[in-house]
Amino acid sequence: MTDPTTDPTTVAGIPCDLTVVIVDDHSIFRSGLRSELDPALRVLGEAATVDEAIAVVVATQPRVVLLDVHLPGGTGGGGAEVIRAAAPQAPSTLFLALSVSDAADDVVTVIRAGARGYITKSASGAEVSDAARRVAGGDAVFSPRLAGFVLDAFGAVAGETAATTDELDRLSAREQEVMRLIARGYAYKEVASALFISPKTVETHVSAVLRKLQLSSRHELTAWATARKLL
Amino acid sequence: MTQLRPTDPRFTGHLVRPRLRIVAGVCAGFARHSGLPVTFVRTVTFVLALCGGAGVLLYGWLWATTPDESADGAAGSDPRGDRLPKAALTGANTTLPDNRNPQADPSAGLTPGPAVATAGAEADAVTGEPRRAPVTEILLGLALVGTAGALIANRLGADLPLDAIIPAIVALAGTGLAWRQFAELRSGAGPRSSGMLVRALGALVLVALGILLFFITSESPNVWTVIVAAMSVLVGVAVVVAPWAVRLTRDLSDERAAREREAGRAEMAAHLHDSVLQTLALIQQKAGPHSDAARLARAQERDLREWLFTGAANGPVDLAAELRGIATTVEREFAVHVDVVSVGTVDREVPEALLAAAREAILNAARHAGGSVSVYVESSPTAIEVSVTDRGPGFSIGDIPADRMGVRESILARMQRAGGTASVRPGPGGTGTEIRLSLPLDIQEDTP
Repeated sequence: MTDPTTDPTTVAGIPCDLTVVIVDDHSIFRSGLRSELDPALRVLGEAATVDEAIAVVVATQPRVVLLDVHLPGGTGGGGAEVIRAAAPQAPSTLFLALSVSDAADDVVTVIRAGARGYITKSASGAEVSDAARRVAGGDAVFSPRLAGFVLDAFGAVAGETAATTDELDRLSAREQEVMRLIARGYAYKEVASALFISPKTVETHVSAVLRKLQLSSRHELTAWATARKLL
Repeated sequence: MTQLRPTDPRFTGHLVRPRLRIVAGVCAGFARHSGLPVTFVRTVTFVLALCGGAGVLLYGWLWATTPDESADGAAGSDPRGDRLPKAALTGANTTLPDNRNPQADPSAGLTPGPAVATAGAEADAVTGEPRRAPVTEILLGLALVGTAGALIANRLGADLPLDAIIPAIVALAGTGLAWRQFAELRSGAGPRSSGMLVRALGALVLVALGILLFFITSESPNVWTVIVAAMSVLVGVAVVVAPWAVRLTRDLSDERAAREREAGRAEMAAHLHDSVLQTLALIQQKAGPHSDAARLARAQERDLREWLFTGAANGPVDLAAELRGIATTVEREFAVHVDVVSVGTVDREVPEALLAAAREAILNAARHAGGSVSVYVESSPTAIEVSVTDRGPGFSIGDIPADRMGVRESILARMQRAGGTASVRPGPGGTGTEIRLSLPLDIQEDTP
C-alpha cells in the first residue's frame, strides 16, 4: 500500500526507503524488533524514555515512529506525551503505537494524542513493517482489537448510527460495517471486496473513524476506557 | 458447647469474639483461644464475679478490647484479607449450630449460673437468642424495673439510699445507650446521619447527669464536691468512650492494612505487566507466529493476563472470557493462533448451546485450516453474534461431505435447536471459511 511518491524522505539514494525510530523501554524488545524489521526499513535511532524519544525524533526526523505506549520518564505521560511534545517539531513524522497491553484506556489515550494506528507487540516483524508502511502511506492502521474498541466506544452495538457524515460522536452505517469486518480479521482489501467498494474507499472510512476517535468528545472515549481495564 | 469450639490448634491465633454468643462472646472467645472448655471458663468467670466483682470487671475489659470475629459478608467494613481464612473456617463452624438451634438451648441451660453471674444484671440475656443477645434493651428494662422497685420499696417504708440508686441507674442507662449508638455508628449499619451522632451525645450527657446527681442529691455542695463531681464526669465519659475509641482505631488500622495489601498487589501486577508480558510478547515475535514457542508464550500470556486482571473483569458470566478460555485450550493442541475480539457485554447467562457451537467452530478451523483464526463476538441487547474466521484452504463440499455433515450437526443443528441461526460461508477475500452464529436474546428466554 506504499506509494513511493508520497514518501518525502530520500535516504542514501534509495528513494522509497522508509525511516523509522524505535521507542521502547526494553532494550531486548528494541533489538528484537530491529532485527525482525523488513530490510527496506531504515532504523535511524532508538530511545528508551520519554525525554530520549523526544530528542531522537526531533533530531532525526524519521517518517514513522514505532512508539511503545508505556514509557518511563517525562511527566509520566508515556507514549502520548512523546507525541504531544515531538509532533510540532517533526511535522512530517507519523506515529504508530505499539502496546503489550490491550487496555482500552492506553490505546485510546495514545490515539487521541495523534498516533495514526495501533498494533500489538506480539505482531511479527513483517506485520510491524507492513503497518509502518501503511502509516507512512497516509493510512490509519487498525488492529482487529482497536476496531472492537471503536465499535464499543461509539455505541455501535447499541444501534447508534450517525445521520450525517460530519457527526463526530457516532459512526456512520458504512463505517460500522468496515469496523465490523476489520474486527473479524479482514484485511483492507478483503473488506473492500466484501463490501463491493474500492480499497481506497475503505481507507477513507478508516481514516474518518480515526479522526472521530481523535476528535470526538464522546464521554465513553475517556470515561469508559479508564473504567474498563481489559478487553 | 462442643459445637462452639473445635479444640483445634489452628484456632489459637487471635483472640476474637465469635458470632455465636450468649452475652458478648467473651467466654466463648477466650475458651476457643486458650483451648479450655467453655463451661470451665464460664464457671471461673462466675466465681470471679462473686469475688468482689472481679469477674465482671475482667469480662467488661475483655469485651472492650477484643475484636468481633469478622463476619463473612455481614460486616462490610471488615477487610477480607488475612482474617478471611479464619472467618471462612469459623463460618463453617457457626453455621452448623445455627441450623439446629435447639442444641444451643440445652447448652445454655447447662450453665445458667455462670452466665447469670457473669453479666450480673444482664442475667436474663441467657434466655435470649444465642446468636446475639439484646443486652442493651435488657439493661434498660432492668434499670427501669429497678427504679420502680426502689421507689415502691421506699414508699413501703424501707430505708433505701435513693439518692445513690437513682443516679446510678441513670448513669447505667446512659452507658448502655451510648455503647449501643457507638456500635451502630461504627458498623455503619444504619443511615449514617447526624441524628445518630446526636443520640450518642445525648446518651453521654445522660451519663454525665447521672454522675452529677450523685453529688447534687447527697449533701450541701462545697468546693470539693464540685471538683470531685467534675472529675467524675470526665472519668465517667472517658470510660464510656474508651472502648469505642479502641475499636475505632483498630478498624482504622485494619483498613490501612487492607489498603497496603491492595497497593502491593497492584504494584506487583504493574511489574509483571511491564516485564513478563513484554518478554512473552518478544518471544512470540521472535519465534514466528505459528511455532510451538510462540504458542506456549501466548498461552502463558493469556493465563497471566487473566490472573492479573480478574479483579477488573465484569459480570459473572463473560462470553468473551469463556471464548478466550476455549482459544487457549485450542492453541495448546493445534498449531493455530486464535484471536478473540469482543464488543459489548453480556449481562446474562450465556446459553450453553452457543458456547458449544462456537467451540466446535473454533476446533473445526484449527483442525482444517490452521494458521490464524479470528473470533469476533458482538453482544447487543437483542442478540449475540459470534463469527469464526479462518484463512485455510476453504472447503469444497464434494471433498469431505462426511466431515461437513458432522459440522452441520454440531454447529448448524445445535444453533437451530437453541433458537438461533448459523451459516457457513467463504472467508475474507474468498479464501478460508467463515462461520457465523447468531442468537436472538428474546428466544433464549423461552428455551430451557
